[in-house]
Amino acid sequence: MLKVLIPTLMLFPTTWLAPKKWLWATTTSHSLIIALISLTWLNWTAETGWTLPNSYMAIDPLSAPLLVLACWLLPLMILASQNHTRTEPISRQRTFICLLISLQAFLILAFGATEILMFYVMFEATLVPTLIIITRWGNQAERLNAGTYFLFYTLAGSLPLLVALLALQNSTGSLSMIILNFNPPLALASWGDMMWWAACLIAFLVKMPLYGVHLWLPKAHVEAPIAGSMVLAAVLLKLGGYGMIRMSTILDPITKEAAYPFIVLALWGIIMTGSICLRQTDLKSLIAYSSVSHMGLVAGGILIQTPWGLTGALILMIAHGLVSSALFCLANTSYERTHSRTMALARGMQMLFPLTATWWFVANLANLALPPLPNLMGEVMIITTMFNWSPWTLILTGLGTLITAGYSLYMFLMTQRGPVPEHIKGLTPYHTREHLLITLHLLPVILLVLKPELIWGWFY
Amino acid sequence: MASRLTRIWPSLSRMRFSPVYGARFVSQSTPSSAAGATAVTDLQPSHAKESHGHAEVSPFEKNPEYHGFSTDATADAWNMRLAFFFGISIAIVLGGTFLHYLPDHGMRQWARREAEKQIKKREAGGLPIMSENYYDPSKIVLPSAGEE
Repeated sequence: MLKVLIPTLMLFPTTWLAPKKWLWATTTSHSLIIALISLTWLNWTAETGWTLPNSYMAIDPLSAPLLVLACWLLPLMILASQNHTRTEPISRQRTFICLLISLQAFLILAFGATEILMFYVMFEATLVPTLIIITRWGNQAERLNAGTYFLFYTLAGSLPLLVALLALQNSTGSLSMIILNFNPPLALASWGDMMWWAACLIAFLVKMPLYGVHLWLPKAHVEAPIAGSMVLAAVLLKLGGYGMIRMSTILDPITKEAAYPFIVLALWGIIMTGSICLRQTDLKSLIAYSSVSHMGLVAGGILIQTPWGLTGALILMIAHGLVSSALFCLANTSYERTHSRTMALARGMQMLFPLTATWWFVANLANLALPPLPNLMGEVMIITTMFNWSPWTLILTGLGTLITAGYSLYMFLMTQRGPVPEHIKGLTPYHTREHLLITLHLLPVILLVLKPELIWGWFY
Repeated sequence: MASRLTRIWPSLSRMRFSPVYGARFVSQSTPSSAAGATAVTDLQPSHAKESHGHAEVSPFEKNPEYHGFSTDATADAWNMRLAFFFGISIAIVLGGTFLHYLPDHGMRQWARREAEKQIKKREAGGLPIMSENYYDPSKIVLPSAGEE
């Protein structure tokens, strides 16, 4: 753990001591080396599940892919932010990079924690840099509203979790994820127990976000600068999924009945948010709603509590993290040129930027789950296990997949095809940096096809 | 509505009659001379240049081989090289190789290969793939039917 955590903390002095001219080059290289070292976590050394470097932090096949994803995202965020911070004074650029680094440090501590309370604290701690990124570095005045939504939705959801965790500590005497796995199932029957069950999951369902408590997400995504959107879509939403998987081992016996309304909401959310995507005019908002739709499938897969569901959820989380982040990057590159997120105002981009159109095409196909990409594998596993639970769910999941294909096509046609509008003259050509950025998103997705067991989690 | 129109009309009219109207930048190969670089900047609408310091100055004007990293040409080139080296050569290539050759956890891949070999061997020999009595039936203790 420390082999990555200490270099991550050392990124702070790097950022502040690096000469002005070499600030971005140094931080990019440094963070890429950290990402490389983080790959060693994927080496599953223990015969059993957990690898314990020390008693506070541990890695298991569930957290390892998410940890690596969190480390991979930092260099990509740094690469993506170079253009929009270019005009800022150097000290502000350094502050911005520091915010991104602190986010990575908190994420490593959150995914690596063995104590649930430590996980909770780090889960909350990620709110602070994210809030600053959204409300300080966003572009429009609406960012303040988005920040309020983001903060209060998440906080209101997670305060009951704190109470529930303290109650759990009182009754079992431990909050260690490693020990709680071996506890006898808690006898939960009363309404109070139901409330406790809900309190344990609501925080993560809000973060996920579940349909119904998702309204903060499109706002936050639309108003955040590119790095904020990337890390929100790629890693922060996955904190919710990760937390749910961790908590569900403790909540076991009543989850079977109590999860009903949440599974219904998650599946219904796939259809509803997919349909919302079909009538979006705002590019970033469309991608944000498509994230909600995919996360609905993940939430369903986790709540159903089968090995296939959990494996599918993890696969989909990783694949979606990379692909939606790539889509946000593409949306941002187009925004930086046309200064508009409205799709109708920037059509026909394929004529102007053919290579970027290819990136759009590949990212769209990955988002709509093209075989053999891991997105499809995750979705198929979740859909299968849902079908096994109740055949009627196939109507919802199948329709959801259809709508996903529909809005992906809509997004591609609206941005890439059609006539170039008259007002578009002299757009800046795409930079090498942007092509590299998208390559570094999409290559891992394609390479994961060759070794999918890295993201199969516990049940491989 | 009308007041809004009057506010944006000057900019609209300027855009229509600007000398580059109709010229559209399609794609750019790396310009070999400074002439190519100026051609790019000429395509900026004239009103964009004078908008109170918020104008977009094309970085290609200063550095025709701009990679999107820095306005300083040396830093730009080196940042590009470092990002490609550490991103592609190190992280993707070396990292990918490392992941490909990770040890086979729980000998799952070995077991699979071994099973496939066994199947081929048995099929070639005309044997059933798996014996019907893989577990010796005499060793399995079953509860008697009537007992409760």
